[in-house]
Amino acid sequence: MALLTDEVRGYIGIEGPRVAACDIIEAGAVRRYAQAIMDRDEAYHCGRPGVANGRPIAPPLYPVFMFRTPFDAIDYLTERASDPDFDGAVTGVSNGLPELPLHGLALLNGGAEVECFRHPQHGDTIFQQARYADITERMSKSGPMLLVVVDTVYSIESGEPIMRYRKTLIRR
Amino acid sequence: MGHPISFDDIKQGDEIPGLHKGPLTTAHLMRWSSAIENWHKIHYDLPFATGHDKLPSLLVNGSFKQQFIMQLLKDWVGPQGWVWKVNFQFRAMNIVGESLDVWGRVTGLRRMADYGLVDLELGIRNAEGKESTPGTATVALPYRDGPAVPYPFVAPSA
Repeated sequence: MALLTDEVRGYIGIEGPRVAACDIIEAGAVRRYAQAIMDRDEAYHCGRPGVANGRPIAPPLYPVFMFRTPFDAIDYLTERASDPDFDGAVTGVSNGLPELPLHGLALLNGGAEVECFRHPQHGDTIFQQARYADITERMSKSGPMLLVVVDTVYSIESGEPIMRYRKTLIRR
Repeated sequence: MGHPISFDDIKQGDEIPGLHKGPLTTAHLMRWSSAIENWHKIHYDLPFATGHDKLPSLLVNGSFKQQFIMQLLKDWVGPQGWVWKVNFQFRAMNIVGESLDVWGRVTGLRRMADYGLVDLELGIRNAEGKESTPGTATVALPYRDGPAVPYPFVAPSA
């Protein structure tokens, strides 16, 4: 059965709104992130001369993972706790874009193309704006799968870009 | 003016200093998932990963592995260089318990007006030498006697 239906194909080119992450870049969250990736770069907690005017920064990909569940959002972990097919993926999948009608298909990370322009810095509010750049179907050893390409620009409040992140999601 | 590393120090075929991570335990995966609030069960719920999603074990997050690639490049270029473009594909899974070695090799050098661009191939291999995350990158490095790479970085015109 084809996964790439006309309904799914109709999502190609859809662009979401420019939305802010629910939190600013804050020292405690940066510390937990840096400890998790095992990167002891001092620029992440006290700044470093010659890097972003000495202000503390966050790891390069930090903005990509800032779009989390805000206070007023539905708690899907609780709402779907008894659903045996719920995979737990609740945020950061489509970057503010409408979800694709692919209920029950597993989600895997296929990779990304990243282009960086400036450091994310402590205190910054980060915005994202995403677009479904492409959706194609391929045949794999385990059957058909969709490759969903989401192109997202991350920027600071002034609109200056921090990075462009073009990711490929595998749905099968 | 001198830089810890400059474009003039680099030649095609150079291996850049590698980065070792691991062994990556369930605690490492859980710490990463918590840091980014990603509750995708394939990284911590073994019955779901193997039973529902038919995976061989808990997966090391792709989001986790890409951090290692960025760290490899960032640490190599230093504060006066810039990691401009990075491209990686998750071609094979890495599972909990594996140790990973992140590597990079210079494939091209381009002289620009104010700095040099270095093209690299890169990847992540497990202890058996299996490549899981092939990719490429382009970084900017200052010339030995030149200024630091301009910040914010402006992509050079093609």
